[in-house]
Amino acid sequence: MSTAPLDLGARTNGEPPVPGEPSPLVVARSPGQVVWLRLKRDGTALVSGAVSLLLIVVAVGAPVIEAAYGVGPQDSFKNELDRYGMPYGVAGGVGGAHWFGVEPGLGRDVFIQMVYGMRTSVGIAFGAALLTTTIGAVAGIVAGYLGGWVDAVISWLVDVALAMPFLIFTLALIRPLELRFYGPREVVPEWFRVIVLIGLFATFGWTSTARLVRGQVLSLREREFVEAARLSGAGLGRILFRELLPNLWAPILVAFSLAIPAYITGEAALSFLGIGMLEPTPDFGRMIYRSLSYLQTDPAYVLFPGVTIFVLVLAFNLFGDALRDALDPKSSR
Amino acid sequence: MRRRSAAIVALLTLVTGLGACVNNRKSGDDAGPDVDRKATGAIASDPRDSTGPAPEIPGASRGGTITVIRQNRIPHLDPQRVYSFVGLNASQLYARRLTTFKDDGQGHVTLVGDLAVTPGTDVNKDCKTWEFKIKDGVRYEDGTIITSRDIAYGIARSFDLALTGGPTYIQQWLADTPQFDTRFDFKSNKTALAPGLSTPDEKTLKLAFAKPHCDLPFATSLPATAPVPAAKDTGVDYDKQPVASGPYKITKNTAGVEITMERNANWDPATDAVRHQYPDRFVWSFGPDPITQTNRIIADSGADQTAVSWSGVHPSLMAKVVGDPALRSRTIQSPTPSHNTLTINNQRVTDLKVRQALNYAIDRDGLIKILGGETAGRPVTTLMPPATIGWKDYDAYPAGRNGNPDKARDLLGGKKPDLVLAVADSTFGQEVSIHLRANLEKAGFKITVKAVPADSFYDETKKKDNPWDLYLGSWAADWPSGASILPVLYDGRAIKDSGSNNGTSYLNAPALNAEFDRTLALPTEQQGAEWGRLDEKIMREYAPVVPLYVDVVFTLHGSKVGGVFVDSVFGSPTFVKAFVRK
Amino acid sequence: MVRFLARRLLLAALTLFAVSVLTFLMFFALPRDPATAMCPKNCDAARLERVRDELGLNDAKAVQYLNYMKGIVAGRDLGSAQGGYCAAPCLGYSYVNGEPVTSTFTRVIPVTLSIVIPAALLWLATGIGLGTFSALHRGTVLDRMAIGFSLAGASSQLYFVGGVLLLVFVYHLRILPYPHYTSILDNPLAWAASLILPWCALAFLFSAVYARLSRAQMLETMSEDFVRTAVAKGLPRRTIVVRHALRAAITPLVTTAGLDVGATLGGTVITETTFGLRGLGRTAVDAVKDGDLPTIMGTVLIAATFIVVANVVVDVSYTLIDPRVRLR
Repeated sequence: MSTAPLDLGARTNGEPPVPGEPSPLVVARSPGQVVWLRLKRDGTALVSGAVSLLLIVVAVGAPVIEAAYGVGPQDSFKNELDRYGMPYGVAGGVGGAHWFGVEPGLGRDVFIQMVYGMRTSVGIAFGAALLTTTIGAVAGIVAGYLGGWVDAVISWLVDVALAMPFLIFTLALIRPLELRFYGPREVVPEWFRVIVLIGLFATFGWTSTARLVRGQVLSLREREFVEAARLSGAGLGRILFRELLPNLWAPILVAFSLAIPAYITGEAALSFLGIGMLEPTPDFGRMIYRSLSYLQTDPAYVLFPGVTIFVLVLAFNLFGDALRDALDPKSSR
Repeated sequence: MRRRSAAIVALLTLVTGLGACVNNRKSGDDAGPDVDRKATGAIASDPRDSTGPAPEIPGASRGGTITVIRQNRIPHLDPQRVYSFVGLNASQLYARRLTTFKDDGQGHVTLVGDLAVTPGTDVNKDCKTWEFKIKDGVRYEDGTIITSRDIAYGIARSFDLALTGGPTYIQQWLADTPQFDTRFDFKSNKTALAPGLSTPDEKTLKLAFAKPHCDLPFATSLPATAPVPAAKDTGVDYDKQPVASGPYKITKNTAGVEITMERNANWDPATDAVRHQYPDRFVWSFGPDPITQTNRIIADSGADQTAVSWSGVHPSLMAKVVGDPALRSRTIQSPTPSHNTLTINNQRVTDLKVRQALNYAIDRDGLIKILGGETAGRPVTTLMPPATIGWKDYDAYPAGRNGNPDKARDLLGGKKPDLVLAVADSTFGQEVSIHLRANLEKAGFKITVKAVPADSFYDETKKKDNPWDLYLGSWAADWPSGASILPVLYDGRAIKDSGSNNGTSYLNAPALNAEFDRTLALPTEQQGAEWGRLDEKIMREYAPVVPLYVDVVFTLHGSKVGGVFVDSVFGSPTFVKAFVRK
Repeated sequence: MVRFLARRLLLAALTLFAVSVLTFLMFFALPRDPATAMCPKNCDAARLERVRDELGLNDAKAVQYLNYMKGIVAGRDLGSAQGGYCAAPCLGYSYVNGEPVTSTFTRVIPVTLSIVIPAALLWLATGIGLGTFSALHRGTVLDRMAIGFSLAGASSQLYFVGGVLLLVFVYHLRILPYPHYTSILDNPLAWAASLILPWCALAFLFSAVYARLSRAQMLETMSEDFVRTAVAKGLPRRTIVVRHALRAAITPLVTTAGLDVGATLGGTVITETTFGLRGLGRTAVDAVKDGDLPTIMGTVLIAATFIVVANVVVDVSYTLIDPRVRLR
């Protein structure tokens, strides 16, 4: 990472100093403050950051929204469906009582389903991104620094993880895992499946962060400060986590923030195929899958979750991009 | 940035605009489709009823190609391995059986001889020895005469475990044990006859059973009795292109994609009382999902004008199809014998009051809305489907279309039974679980929903010691008699300790079992009404299940197709009378 | 070079071996008993046991694995219930589909190839085109629009985009037929007409990565000395961009592209599900749902082979294209 600790442009807004004028005070800023300033100047970052934050708040505050809205995600309004199960009214039953209408066939409120669906998506995505980035970072640092057979083994593990079919394994392993831990009459709690999904994502997803970090470590380990630490007798752990890691936080942070939208998409894709979260947990992917059958007769039912998840993923992607720009403008993307 | 936000705003407006285009007005519900009809059946003992040719269909003309579109492939073409509805009806085109049904499409069926001159003679009037005489002039697609030995060979090869998949009635009855493959090893001697089977001459087939089986003529209507030429039997590969004995032969089979059947010149209409040979060719096309099928046939362009959608109208499009008067003449709608229940595990839920309370609480109407409304399912309160001969409509626990939670609660008397409902983790299973849980909890039950892997769900519920209290069950009889429904599902003596059971309610009431024996011993003509009475008695005294609904077939065909109807026995589209309009 | 290649191939083989073992083990964790596929209705425990024997499911797992691997290399006899002798490479017999696995593959692999390869060409062209265009018009509105478009694509859900495309072009406007696979050898026009929507959907989603990458690479390369020299020499812009700058920028693009194509070949489930096409992905998913071990093993091995081969090809071509790497 090459962010200079001193930012000479702060006072002059990037203009070169005019000769003759008293030179402005040089202000020392920490790397974090520099990043923050850059973000503040970027319009896209601000908007996408605000939207992301808003959606996170919605996700976390779902029960509060439910209390204010008055309708729960499992409340069913079958009397609002006609004899074929299609909702009465415009755009799938949109109205004062149901802001986004009701689901055909099931009669549940779409808006509150989506609020809770946001909670499922964001929750799983954050968990998976955290775990993946952590494992990947550790693996990358260890492989990059130690080299030799450790590097060879970890690289080979990366190859195997990349070659294994994620979908097939998830499909095959989800139910047996549940059967292993829960008896035939016991209901499997929601959080168990969440943990299984996060675990499966992590098993297959750590590779990209690992490769990224490894690449960075390879260039870092020849630097003087590492040499100095080694000569001064620092142990392996200290070198890895006290010397190298602090210089890697930028790519790791970017990897984390870009992993989130990837996992939102991934989890929705699993639910689309029927192997993600099951009823009664609300979920975007499952809702979109079901709604595609009603594309012609109730397009609103498709568009509401479809557009929402698009906005969600776009916001996180834009913010991750802006963060990457702010952390290292030379890595201009 | 501004451009981007402008673009997003435009996109959202377009999107909401599209969404707002649909306006489903609340109006007085118009009269729904008629799904009720009385079923009748008879066995024709006069050989004249079994001779052809089948009466000409008014308006029919020869020629043309009919395309049948289906989402999934036909699992087996080998007649001894056929057991799915699509296989049973598709095989009617190329595989003749000993007996078959003459069907008017309105629920009136007559069992007639197909390859046999009559639907079997009960030689000693004890239902243990049956004799069939084979018709003259019945040939394979290559012109070879079909003899009783061919049919005997077909039955013999069905004992081979490698050729599994088909029904097992005849094998079990001949060998007098469910482990029929231990009594007769087909592989070691392919020329031997199965136990109890004999062919005194080329035109006679005799079956001798240890126990009486009065339903044999019905069992022989299944393609397991189709003839197979021994010289051309290729084992598992026979599944690709079996030798035809019916009006059509299989000329091309691209596995999982398309099957083409063309006219069999050696089929003699004078020997066939049921089938016709109007179209030049049938093409079975696999792959398109129900929505695509419905859209294509509504569009009715090009080759789709002579197409039939097997998978039926998708629930989301039902309102559109019903509401379009132009489509009325191209719609086929019919109740089927597929009967669905909320089965109660009687070994776990032993309190009769709890079972009766479940019957009072159930909201059938809400459940049917998940399927797509009354065009997809017809609610029932009886154990037998309306398509059964002798069916009697009754409601032992009248609670209205949406159930009566209060009455259920009264019956429970303050108790809150804790029940585990097992559902398949498919989309349908999950949706049903949502509905049932909300429905039953309103009536005072505590319901725990357990999602079971969909592909093994039915197998798991068929185990006697399954750990659940409630699960969905369904049954479609192989022939429309109460004898293939009530004793099969509710006779406790049929419960197998290990392995797959048919009746998953696991009811075992000795008094009831005796009633079954008594009714089975009655002559076939009297059984119909008796089964109807027994149906009501079982529900009132034992309430072993909560009857839910009967599947309704609702499908479309192109404007140039005629003569396609839903058969009264299996409830699937059948093509024996199909033709292409000019 | 030869030693490098040999080492890479050895590693690749080792990877495939690991994948095959893991898949085998995973399969036996499945709750579904595969013998029930052969013995659906009216089955009882005793007959089920005999079917299991017939299918070789009662052998020790290691034995079953070795038999399977032997089949791939040298062919093996599967017994009468599974079609007799099966020549190498024998991927087993699917008792669910009723045909040898290799037959299933000859039918479904062309579908997947038809979806992925043209789509890959399309997304590469679109991505590199957009990225180069952006780089050359850096900072302008067009630059932002191009990047915005590709970011929108990257944030979209494939099934949603696919569904909307179907609604507009197939159901409403009726200018395209319902997606139904026809072999390119039978009718190239029908082949393309059915597949153009999946190609566009995939291109829309994937071009973003390449747009971004190529934009960055181009920006970096365009500021290099040799480009300045070319400009000073008076070469036309077009020549500079295409012949010089792009060539230098291509290396990371090749890497990403190769890996992407390999990975996509291994998993097009969502595309196939959305458009109703039966390719490798759907076959694999259905095989897991049906408990069809031979098909599962076959699809996993083929998909893994695609990925591993793509990796090797990328590594090798990396050394061929970029002399700097070779000299390291």
